[in-house]
Amino acid sequence: MTVPALKAKDYKSGIKAVWCPGCGHFAVLSALTKAMAHLGLVKEEVAVVSGIGCSSRLPAYIDTYGFHGIHGRALAAASGLKAARPDLTVIVAGGDGDGFSIGGNHFLHACRRNMNMAYIVMDNEVYGMTKGQASPTTLPDWSNSKMTPHGTGIPSFNPAAIALAAGAGFIARGFSGEPSELTRILVEAIEHSGFAFVQVLSGCVTYRPDQKLWKEEVHPSESDLPTDDPVKAAQIIQAGDGKATGVIYAKQFPVWQPENRMDSNLNTIEKEFLL
Amino acid sequence: MSEAETVTIESVEEFLVHAMELEEASYEHYEELADTMEVHNNLEVAELFRKLANYSRLHAEEVHQRAANLALPTITPWDFKWKCPSAPEAFCMDDADYLMSSTKAMEIALFNEIRGRDFYQQVADNSSSEAVKKLALEMVEEENWHVEMLREWQASMQEEQPQEDLDPPNMPE
Ligand SMILES: Cc1ncc(C[n+]2csc(CCOP(=O)(O)OP(=O)(O)O)c2C)c(N)n1
Ligand code: SF4
Repeated sequence: MTVPALKAKDYKSGIKAVWCPGCGHFAVLSALTKAMAHLGLVKEEVAVVSGIGCSSRLPAYIDTYGFHGIHGRALAAASGLKAARPDLTVIVAGGDGDGFSIGGNHFLHACRRNMNMAYIVMDNEVYGMTKGQASPTTLPDWSNSKMTPHGTGIPSFNPAAIALAAGAGFIARGFSGEPSELTRILVEAIEHSGFAFVQVLSGCVTYRPDQKLWKEEVHPSESDLPTDDPVKAAQIIQAGDGKATGVIYAKQFPVWQPENRMDSNLNTIEKEFLL
Repeated sequence: MSEAETVTIESVEEFLVHAMELEEASYEHYEELADTMEVHNNLEVAELFRKLANYSRLHAEEVHQRAANLALPTITPWDFKWKCPSAPEAFCMDDADYLMSSTKAMEIALFNEIRGRDFYQQVADNSSSEAVKKLALEMVEEENWHVEMLREWQASMQEEQPQEDLDPPNMPE
């Protein structure tokens, strides 16, 4: 019997999203399910892992395996899962707060560890879920939070530059307002062998209504990309305005995958935990 | 695809795949809007979007019927030939607001339907295939009818004041 190909909507769980109407994360969900359908992923061979935040609700809305973990630990949980189940397609998702603040250290080491997984950060330069505090990607002069009424005064974090410096082999930037292009980027990220980092500019209509302007500001990258030259990638990232979309850097590095101890079972694992 | 490029679709099969995607995306977009309005307890607007979703579903079914028995090409999600960044009737979500009125919702719907109609019109204007032109013009006519219907519906609505947000974002004025 031939199984009919799945459509993007077949990858949606049917749970109604609680995001604010107009939130950019809707488009990320749609692009990801389209990418899954395009790649013909088998649902039970995929796990979507997240932390905490509005963006981290994503696994609930996708009809594959999923793990809605704890704040900042999406990559740690996903790395454990990939170590134990290398056969799974592991997709990690979350926000800029989850990934770059509390999860910043995991981000650095996931980049250099280079396990085969795609990491999507829905970057709205704010903590949406906790009512609009500044995050590491918030510009220093953004003063629309009662917590930082004069702005943070701290230079913002450049996720693509950090990923490159930390050793990631695939770095891309997408935009929720360009869902078709985002789908293409996500397909390439999932297909990349190794750690693939995708920063998605995904506006928060509630706490960052100013991001509605992104529609005019975001533009395709003008450089001849992707490059596999880290020096060229660094120059492009540093010289850019942070609003250029596309795959910036793609280079193959050895993928780290621990030897899978198939002889382990629950009893032996339990014994190892006994002091 | 850049704004400067012209939409040329030269086969009925390719046209129908575009029409199917357009109508299905429209259906899913309205359903998503209806769901999210329901979640935020804006039931009146949720019902309106649900009705619009139903029209789009019927439209999508019609296109499916026309395409039955044809060998349709597969188009990758980013290779559709519309000029906007996503399917024309599933665009512009960031204007949505959980407290929006039915008149605002109708504005969003009209914006979408007009984009859909314009897409079909562009195909009709630029295709050199008579069969594609004919089909595209039929779709334009249907979309025109949709637009007119929505305009009448909008005209029959009372102008509503935006609701007061009792739980506004915690931002300094
Ligand atoms: C250990 C811990 N610290 C703090 C929090 C509170 N908290 C929940 S979500 C969040 C930030 C969410 O921001 P982001 O990851 O950018 O996602 P968004 O909501 O903007 O999509 C914080 C600080 C928490 N849940 N757990
Ligand atoms: S608060 Fe912001 S990030 Fe969270 S769902 Fe609403 S719009 Fe999206």
